[in-house]
Amino acid sequence: MTKHDEARRAFLVGAAVGAGAVAGATLVPNALAQTQEAPRTTGTVPPPAHSHAGGPGLGAFFNSEDAATVAAFTERLMPGAPGKPGARDADVLNYIDLALAGAYADLQYFYRRGLASLDAYCRKTYREPFRRLSAGQQDEVITALEQGKASEFSWPSAVAFFNTVRTHTMEGMFADPIYGGNKEFAGWRLIGFPGAQVEFTAADMQSSGPFTRLPIVGLKAKAS
Amino acid sequence: MATEKTDVVIVGVGAAGGILAAELGKAGMKVIGLERGPRLTTQDYEPHDELRYFQRQDLRPNIKRQPVTWRPNANTRANPLPLQNYGNQVGGGTVHYGAVSWRFHEDDFRARSHTIARYGASAIPEHSSLADWPLSYADLERYYDQAEYELGISGKAGNLQGKKIDGGNVFEAPRRRDYPLPPLRLDQGAILFDAATRKLGYHPFSTPRAILSEAYQDRPACTYCGFCQAFGCHVGAKSSILVTKLPEADATGNFKLITGAMCHRVNSDNSGRVTGVGYYGPDGSDNTIEAELVILTTFIYDNTRLLLLSKTDKFPNGLANSSGQVGKHLMAHMMPNVYSMFDDRHVNNYMGPSAQKHTIDDFNADNFDHSGVGFIVGSQISVGTGNLQGGPISHTTTASPPGTPRWGTAYRDYLAKSFTRQVAMVAQTENLPYSDQMIDLDPDVKDAWGLPAPRLTYDWRRPNELARVEFMMKKMEEIGRTMGAAQVWRAPLGPGAPGAHHEGGTRMGSDPKTSVVNRYGQSWDVPNLFIIGSSTFPSMSGFNPTLTIQALAYMSADAIVNRYRKSPGSLL
Repeated sequence: MTKHDEARRAFLVGAAVGAGAVAGATLVPNALAQTQEAPRTTGTVPPPAHSHAGGPGLGAFFNSEDAATVAAFTERLMPGAPGKPGARDADVLNYIDLALAGAYADLQYFYRRGLASLDAYCRKTYREPFRRLSAGQQDEVITALEQGKASEFSWPSAVAFFNTVRTHTMEGMFADPIYGGNKEFAGWRLIGFPGAQVEFTAADMQSSGPFTRLPIVGLKAKAS
Repeated sequence: MATEKTDVVIVGVGAAGGILAAELGKAGMKVIGLERGPRLTTQDYEPHDELRYFQRQDLRPNIKRQPVTWRPNANTRANPLPLQNYGNQVGGGTVHYGAVSWRFHEDDFRARSHTIARYGASAIPEHSSLADWPLSYADLERYYDQAEYELGISGKAGNLQGKKIDGGNVFEAPRRRDYPLPPLRLDQGAILFDAATRKLGYHPFSTPRAILSEAYQDRPACTYCGFCQAFGCHVGAKSSILVTKLPEADATGNFKLITGAMCHRVNSDNSGRVTGVGYYGPDGSDNTIEAELVILTTFIYDNTRLLLLSKTDKFPNGLANSSGQVGKHLMAHMMPNVYSMFDDRHVNNYMGPSAQKHTIDDFNADNFDHSGVGFIVGSQISVGTGNLQGGPISHTTTASPPGTPRWGTAYRDYLAKSFTRQVAMVAQTENLPYSDQMIDLDPDVKDAWGLPAPRLTYDWRRPNELARVEFMMKKMEEIGRTMGAAQVWRAPLGPGAPGAHHEGGTRMGSDPKTSVVNRYGQSWDVPNLFIIGSSTFPSMSGFNPTLTIQALAYMSADAIVNRYRKSPGSLL
């Protein structure tokens, strides 16, 4: 891992933990410890899509406050727990940050507006931005978005914003780690997906038990 | 701005175009194939990447560059569809499809007359334009056989020259010989489905697929990796046009492929003949091909769009459209899903070819008595994966059970449990044709070349169609419970937009007043223009269309080589 990668990770993990300190403090250390037990592999964290000179404190797209908001939001959508990796463990924030700087660049304005509306709604309802609310309050807010009951949204609508963040959270959990999420196969471990196996045998397909043969295979990484 | 001359130009080198390129080239005709997308190789499909190929649809048309719009009826404004299910490269949809390869039933070719004979004319909905085909199963049988053996299809016969065989599809039409390859391997979902449907008195079998169960024609057998529908095959075991007919076409020395070529017009002269086509190159250049014979083999949208874009003073309603039928009778399969989750066993549904794995045909076509059910024709019912693709991102897009939210702790725990313990069933319901379900040119939305987008006007939610879906949902729930699933639930139905597989737009028939082409896909109005593909289907059957498209392509190639060539410009 290059120094730059470490700095970038430090930023994103810092943002995630910062949010988690309020949003899910009791869950985070256990969940992180769980994935840190997994063997380290090289290549699971891809190089950033864009170079920048700012060092720690800057992602490829989000500013630090938006990063904390997205980290908190996605963790509520896919909460981590001991033995059950969540969005923070999978580095879903990193996935979305890189996607918005690249493949989903046409959604940058969608996210900026959506995040602004989200904080406006939270300030109006709870007098605090989303990232500073308790986990229970955050769940109330997300429920209001999902049901289209949150005020302060125009474009994107609350429902559209919820659906998009949910979709991107699932992508960050379960897409190949080369895209910056699913860190150390956290998402695939959660659900028991062995990844891009080249072949399944007749015996594999005859079994009604769990498939446990290792390694898990990704595009650039393998892990046992 | 290039001009080339050739005998034949084929627009769209997919399921049908690839076959015609090889067969006409072998007969010594000089063929140019135009393809909008790139030509990729088996090695290009080595990355098993669900985000790229399933979620971001890398093998399908870019919906921003190549929009297709949809509206439920003529009184509403059309909006671009968020997803398109055809191909966008050499090989077309056969590169990413699930490779399900059916012969239609004998009754599928005479759905109108058969329905009237058995149930009376009133059984056909008043507004339906259901019509018989201008050919019979017997006319097509030898070409089905040719396609199965040349391409490489795996399955088990259920009706060998009239003899019914248990373990195959006993409802299939008689075939001259068995499949060239034995059925693909069983997986857990298929084992459960087979046991349950047999218990219920139905007749399950391994779905015939264009996937090699054993090595064949220098290609290796399937590895059951599971990255199948939505993906290209990384070993070339999927019998796509890319690895079957394209190498044949290349070997003739008579075939030239032009990729990155967006055909925008079929040119015609005042005598009423077509003279070739115009296409935009990847550099934006506008080029011309002069040809004696023009064959359109694009997906149904572009077969219609090209005819409408090619209007002249002589053809003011669009080329080949004196009947006024171009664009009409759009059909698509609805794909209602039922999910079944188990507490006490794994299914590991991500293994093996991911589309409709095992099937019952008991409720398709007129294979059962429709008296009192409120609809005609039917559906295949198959077990497989949600979205026909078994990866984890796909799983998160399917409906969770009633009472389980779509996010949060309960959803996380549902995913952790269900991913390896859940199967999907899908009913591929045959929808009837209606003349007001159609394709035309969008007056507002343009594609990246400035051409009007194809606009679909379509709403499947008609009484016959709704009754058929409800009937099949109940059957799937019954099978799910019989499998012993702890939970069985329906996916919610979508809006009225067309589902999978599209048919219609350039209907074939035996009367030039009510159809666009004859049984060979030859235009009634312009005899040196052929249109071949599912756009010519007068009805759709409950089966996937590709093998029938391919059998028709073989039949047309035979007719062009052995008959049309002797008197070019005459109607076959």
